[in-house]
Amino acid sequence: MQLSTSEISELIKSRLENFSTSAEARTQGTVISVTDGIVRIHGLSNVMAGEMIEFPGNTFGLALNLERDSVGAVVLGDYEHITEGDVVKCTGRILEVPVGPELIGRVVNALGQPIDGKGPVNAKMTDKIEKVAPGVIARKSVSQPVQTGLKSVDSMVPVGRGQRELIIGDRQTGKTAVAVDAIINQKGQNMTCVYVAIGQKASTIANVVRKLEENGAMAYTIVVAAAASDSAALQFLAPYAGCTMGEYFRDRGEDALIVYDDLTKQAIAYRQISLLLRRPPGREAYPGDVFYIHSRLLERAARVNEDYVEKFTGGKVKGKTGSLTALPVIETAAGDVSAFVPTNVISITDGQIFLETDLFNAGIRPAINAGISVSRVGGAAQTKVIKKLGGGVRLALAQYRELAAFAQFASDLDEATRKQLDRGRMFTELMKQAQYAPLSISNMAISLLAANKGYFDDVPTAKVLAFESALHGFMGSKYKALMDGIESSKDLAGDAEKAVEAAIQDFKATNAY
Amino acid sequence: MAEISTIARPYAVAAYKLGKEQKALTKWSEMLGFATQVANDTQMQAYIQDPNVVASDLQATFLKVCGNKLNENAQNLIKLLIEYGRLSVLPAITDAFEALKAQDEGTLEANIIAASKPSATEVKDLVKRLEAKFGKKVEATVSIDPEIIGGIKIIVGDTVIDASVKNQLQNLAYSLTA
Repeated sequence: MQLSTSEISELIKSRLENFSTSAEARTQGTVISVTDGIVRIHGLSNVMAGEMIEFPGNTFGLALNLERDSVGAVVLGDYEHITEGDVVKCTGRILEVPVGPELIGRVVNALGQPIDGKGPVNAKMTDKIEKVAPGVIARKSVSQPVQTGLKSVDSMVPVGRGQRELIIGDRQTGKTAVAVDAIINQKGQNMTCVYVAIGQKASTIANVVRKLEENGAMAYTIVVAAAASDSAALQFLAPYAGCTMGEYFRDRGEDALIVYDDLTKQAIAYRQISLLLRRPPGREAYPGDVFYIHSRLLERAARVNEDYVEKFTGGKVKGKTGSLTALPVIETAAGDVSAFVPTNVISITDGQIFLETDLFNAGIRPAINAGISVSRVGGAAQTKVIKKLGGGVRLALAQYRELAAFAQFASDLDEATRKQLDRGRMFTELMKQAQYAPLSISNMAISLLAANKGYFDDVPTAKVLAFESALHGFMGSKYKALMDGIESSKDLAGDAEKAVEAAIQDFKATNAY
Repeated sequence: MAEISTIARPYAVAAYKLGKEQKALTKWSEMLGFATQVANDTQMQAYIQDPNVVASDLQATFLKVCGNKLNENAQNLIKLLIEYGRLSVLPAITDAFEALKAQDEGTLEANIIAASKPSATEVKDLVKRLEAKFGKKVEATVSIDPEIIGGIKIIVGDTVIDASVKNQLQNLAYSLTA
């Protein structure tokens, strides 16, 4: 970052103006031991749980264990300069991060400090990172869709605003790709996105940020990054920090989408902290409250009603609901979903998108296993036209899987079975989608309608995607008005369906694919 | 160390309760203070830490050094501590006992650190203000530390009221470099 001389003197001037020189009365303690970022402190008798404490050298920590004669704390950041006997002060504040629209387009660490080299974040507000989720009365059921732009997700496992949909799968199955595509597709959808990267390689995070920038998604996205090299404390805190940034929009009657990539790493960071704090280990050496760290986080993703928003904003925003949709990511080892953390998060969320290595390697990308992927509340929120047209996809794929296993042994099949197999094969092919290429509602509707009405039946399987993209191009240029109509109404009302069918027939006549 | 104060607490509480029952808190305070001084003596330290000395010898020697300064109860406390190998926590026991006693009497110990020696009226005024703030009687000790450059720093238990120039300069440095 380049600073001019006048900027420097202005900065110093404003800081000098705001500097207060009053005597401070604070509770103090002394450091007894420092072990891997965990500090034991004697004294600090009035410290609160989760309070920020100040170490020498402008370093801060978080008091986690309040014991009879000592306090266990984690250092947020570097701890090499802290030594035994150092004085520690209470700050009387619970850990806070900056919030607000100023953060949009920025990459910040778990404490909300910018790490993208674009200068300071001039956020006007800060908010606590640990907050209690909205209660029963403040909530409203999920009824508006989040369009991910992925055919397979939007048709089979629809996500609603305020829902928590888990993305689960082994390494290298495209979990991040699904989440990033969902963020990219939020352009113009009045949705602020937060991408929380936990324990990932810094290069991977940089790649994601670059891809978001290339696709114009950083204009509405905040990235909270706690890389693998950051301290375990920061990796543990990053999701809560990101959640607080997302809640800012939820509470003001706006919609936000947050991706936690991934919560397995957060649990591992928390396990490290807990073991160093000498909390008793349980299953897989996780502490007893590993369920609670995820449940209290994901519970904050919610849709809140008009009254809550009105009350929260002091009457400034009326008649608007707010939502925070969460897409937590969990990485499994060798497809083992019955491990501790995956089962926990599966039980907390409102459904899961299951990604499988076998499917991924077979070229089915996104590698969604349609059989075990579910959305428990998204159906109520699904876009009308997609709901109408996408209903058959799940069934066709389920029947296909059953028959495919059976057909391996039978050499000659009757006409009906063969047709069903062909149809299933076609749907499997159609559900494939390139990365960073989310589809609009109208394009998705056209594809699904064409598939349902059998216009794909005479298309060779290998050419299904080529046919689809040619169809989209054709419709976008020749039948733009019709497509715009579907896009805005999100429905195929009246004779629109007939018009679309006629258009598809028109396209097939051109034989352009 | 935190563990030491945890170990010391039950002993201190027991001594405090016994002293209170016997209405002899001051006597106990004197006895514990004396025993701590004995235990902190370098020659005695070497003797205590000598692995060749058995517990019964140590008990006899220690009590002989203390002479008639300890009553029967205090002697029993020393014997018990030696038997359990806890003589090293004696200073912590004394500290904890004094804290309990001060709490009972409603007094607070305040350590006033100043860059230059404050006048008697200044100290008196400070003590008055501290008493008003904490709602307890304050016993002040004054120490001089030129390191704080100017102003004063008051330490009352875990609470520190820092109005020193050093602290303010440090805060200014942080706010400029933040």
